[in-house]
Amino acid sequence: MSHDHDHGAHDPIQASNEVSEFEILERAVRELAIEKGLFSQEDHRRFSEWAESIGPSGGSRLVAKAWTDPEFKARLLADGTEACKEVGIDWLDPTGQGTPSDYTYFYVLENTPTVHNVIVCTLCSCYPRPVLGMSPDWYRTPNYRRRLVRWPREVLAEFGLHFGPDVEVRVHDSNQKSRFMVMPMRPEGTEGWTEEQLASIVTRDTMIGVALPQVDWTASGPPSGAKVNA
Amino acid sequence: MTQYKYAIGDRVTVRDGTTLFHTRTQAFTRGKTGVVVEYRPEWIIPEDEAWGRDTPERGGRLEPFYVVRFRQKDLWPNYTGFDIDTLETEVSEHWLEPAKEEQA
Repeated sequence: MSHDHDHGAHDPIQASNEVSEFEILERAVRELAIEKGLFSQEDHRRFSEWAESIGPSGGSRLVAKAWTDPEFKARLLADGTEACKEVGIDWLDPTGQGTPSDYTYFYVLENTPTVHNVIVCTLCSCYPRPVLGMSPDWYRTPNYRRRLVRWPREVLAEFGLHFGPDVEVRVHDSNQKSRFMVMPMRPEGTEGWTEEQLASIVTRDTMIGVALPQVDWTASGPPSGAKVNA
Repeated sequence: MTQYKYAIGDRVTVRDGTTLFHTRTQAFTRGKTGVVVEYRPEWIIPEDEAWGRDTPERGGRLEPFYVVRFRQKDLWPNYTGFDIDTLETEVSEHWLEPAKEEQA
């Protein structure tokens, strides 16, 4: 077999040990807090482990429940913070430790045939973590943050999402206290599905607003048709 | 009861202020006109919160916030999407003034 690609065409991958100013600040504050006994290193590790394992399943359950229960949907749209308690998520104290960044308001944005919502935080990377877990890397990049507000349709197209001129693309820049989550429309072909089945197709990206739920697409396995090991 | 200076449906212009220390009012909204679509509660303004004045007892000022909806074509020169596209964001009361319609 020929071996014709050019190894000289790209530089070798370099490991970077550079630490950003924010990382230095975080370490300094963390070490001070540990020294002062506000929390222990073990507390910090356990919190990080827990926070990084939340995932988007809380949001999926909210949407699936709203799709099957119109009264719950009304409550969710009227008061997201309160309605979340019905699926076991307490926004005002999600960690049980009351980290200040969690004391925020929560609003659910309903997609309709004429309005498509999508969320961003241009100032930092605000994200509804109690219901969606940690944000994806791209959500935190300056590239997504500055381009989604300026060229929303182009950015959505890069995610494979296209809307005509009869659909209002509504960008929500979560710059203050509130956090947002998109409630996508229930796709055709899901009639008679259980709440659990419905939740499986409400993936993270559909609740950010850069994708739409598909009947044959869940995040728990590779997309159908993909031959990842072929 | 919160006294709101602006009502839902009011057209408002974001003050074209400069950034003194910390704010959360995006530069791209300043001087732009939109419409109030929702009320938010009174919150401590980020300009105070950034300095540890995060409660009224510590000197933090509470202010009503609003959700303001802008037409994208009013925010950006040569916006390449469609005319119906919008952007919503929360703005505190002192950043808003009655709409300067001449710019629309």
